[in-house]
Amino acid sequence: MMSDDPTGAQRTYAATEDEVLRIEHLSINFGGLKAVDDLSFCIKRGEIFGLIGPNGAGKTTVFNCITQFYKPNEGAVLFRGLSGEMENLVGQKVHGIIRKGLVRTFQNMELINELSVIDNVLIGAHIDFKVGGFSQALRLPRAVKEERAMRERAMRALDFMGIAELADAPMGGQPYGIRKKVEMARTFLCQPKLIILDEPAAGLNDVETQQLAQSIRDIREKLDCTILLVEHDMRLVMNICNRICAISFGKFLACGTPAEIRNDPKVQVAYLGEQEKED
Amino acid sequence: MKKEQSIGMKIWTNHYFRFVLFGLMLSMLVPAVSGGILKTSFLGIVGGTIIFTIAALGLNILLGYSGLISLGTAGFMGLGAYISAYVTGDMGLPWEVGILAAVLIPTAIGILVGLASLRMSGLYLGIVTLCISEIFRKTFDELDVITGGFSGKSANYPTLLGMIDLNQKQTYILLVVVLVLVMMLTYNIVHGQMGRAMHVMRGSQVAAQAMGVNILKYRLIAFALSTGYASLAGALYVHFIKFVYPSTWTLMISLTILAIIVIGGLRSIYGTFLGALVVYAMPDLVLKRIPVLGDINGLPYVFSGVLIILIILFYPKGVVNVFSDLKRLFAKLTASKSSAAKDEVPNDVG
Repeated sequence: MMSDDPTGAQRTYAATEDEVLRIEHLSINFGGLKAVDDLSFCIKRGEIFGLIGPNGAGKTTVFNCITQFYKPNEGAVLFRGLSGEMENLVGQKVHGIIRKGLVRTFQNMELINELSVIDNVLIGAHIDFKVGGFSQALRLPRAVKEERAMRERAMRALDFMGIAELADAPMGGQPYGIRKKVEMARTFLCQPKLIILDEPAAGLNDVETQQLAQSIRDIREKLDCTILLVEHDMRLVMNICNRICAISFGKFLACGTPAEIRNDPKVQVAYLGEQEKED
Repeated sequence: MKKEQSIGMKIWTNHYFRFVLFGLMLSMLVPAVSGGILKTSFLGIVGGTIIFTIAALGLNILLGYSGLISLGTAGFMGLGAYISAYVTGDMGLPWEVGILAAVLIPTAIGILVGLASLRMSGLYLGIVTLCISEIFRKTFDELDVITGGFSGKSANYPTLLGMIDLNQKQTYILLVVVLVLVMMLTYNIVHGQMGRAMHVMRGSQVAAQAMGVNILKYRLIAFALSTGYASLAGALYVHFIKFVYPSTWTLMISLTILAIIVIGGLRSIYGTFLGALVVYAMPDLVLKRIPVLGDINGLPYVFSGVLIILIILFYPKGVVNVFSDLKRLFAKLTASKSSAAKDEVPNDVG
């Protein structure tokens, strides 16, 4: 493993202590199309980090490469998870990623309408159940105890999002804003180190977006975790992010504070310029 | 919110209590038959309904919760029936051993099918499971050393613990007890972590993976449970009907079980029993007694076919939801009545 590393990812395993995620020379092709091309950036502990870019820039592809839904052709995704060591996520099983302490949300939320709100949140605690299947099937005391403890935790999560009174309501038929909150609760229930939000503000009105910004900050504070945000809503990104990475056509444009990104000529041409014309 | 429940309320809402109560209600059939209120044939019909309910509960876990289709339920039921008949009859082993073998062997095969299922879904999975079922049926035909071939195989009523010989009525009670246990087991499974994992696997595979649900593992669990239930039902069948033919275990049985859960209600335990009652017992109890129409051969199939179409079109939640819908309707009616009464009071605001 140590030999023959064309991307040079190995040397960065000894990354600085405060880095949580480091993307190294990430590339992925779909047929002839280079969706992500030699992209590198890093996220520091406790940051709210934004990944922005015009439509088709490859934001979601980067996202899927980090969470291993796509397997990148080249490069490394180094993550400092619950173990405290930097490890490469590339090649790991998709369902194993959350156990490292990295959890994601979905643009379309992917909630289960047939379950109640609290059961949807409890799905987020799937990996934290320790009691085996047989004990659960026979409803042994320890399974009952664990289920109750998890339910209380899910209740606190719902309370945190301000929708505790909806716990037993069916998920189907809940309005969009509520669904977003439920998904958020599901996401942080397993107490992850890094949360990746895929366009969390999509479809929200101004008031809801402001509430969202506040709850993202709250989650970061309360859980002491890091947040990576992939987002279209520039106001949200500029408002809450500590640092931003801008990409276009799968290529790195710039990385820096919101002010730096706003004033970066390359970014303005690729993204903000167009946005202003549209407005 | 619900902490202030009285003890009586607590017992009443306890699911174990309700399942036992349900079982007691079913057992009432025995004194009713003994007392001459109902005909003895009722025992066979309701017993069959119970057996089909057990198999259908397994398919409900597979299709209703996990979103995987199987058209091979009949094959696994038959396999369970033959294994139990062979182990208790030819090998002379106790009934308990027979039923254990009849559940474990098909379950192991079911897990293998589950392994294959990871590469396919929907129609293709249906076709593959159907083929496996047909292979079993052909084997029942040909392997006459064990299965008795076309002429079938007989078995006795169970002998519990090697000493208690059961008669038909007692076997019926045994069926009820097994049904209640299976219902409890199913309830525990679908209302815990496993059930939620199955839900999310059906609803969204990407979300399931992102939340750490190992799709392979839960597909295997779903297949193991479904084939385990089916073969348990088959093993109970052979000791209740006392006879098994290869020609019983055709696609028709698998489709009947599918019809049971679609009509009764996907993801509902009581609904599965209700569905079995409608699909399996209704033809014998009601349809055949209708003059002229009742003499038509294959009427039950027409009946359940039309019912499936109607249910899917107009009532996709299944027959079991009739109760909650009626309750809601009743609540609405009383509410509108009381609000109408309020309106009659002179209103000084408007």
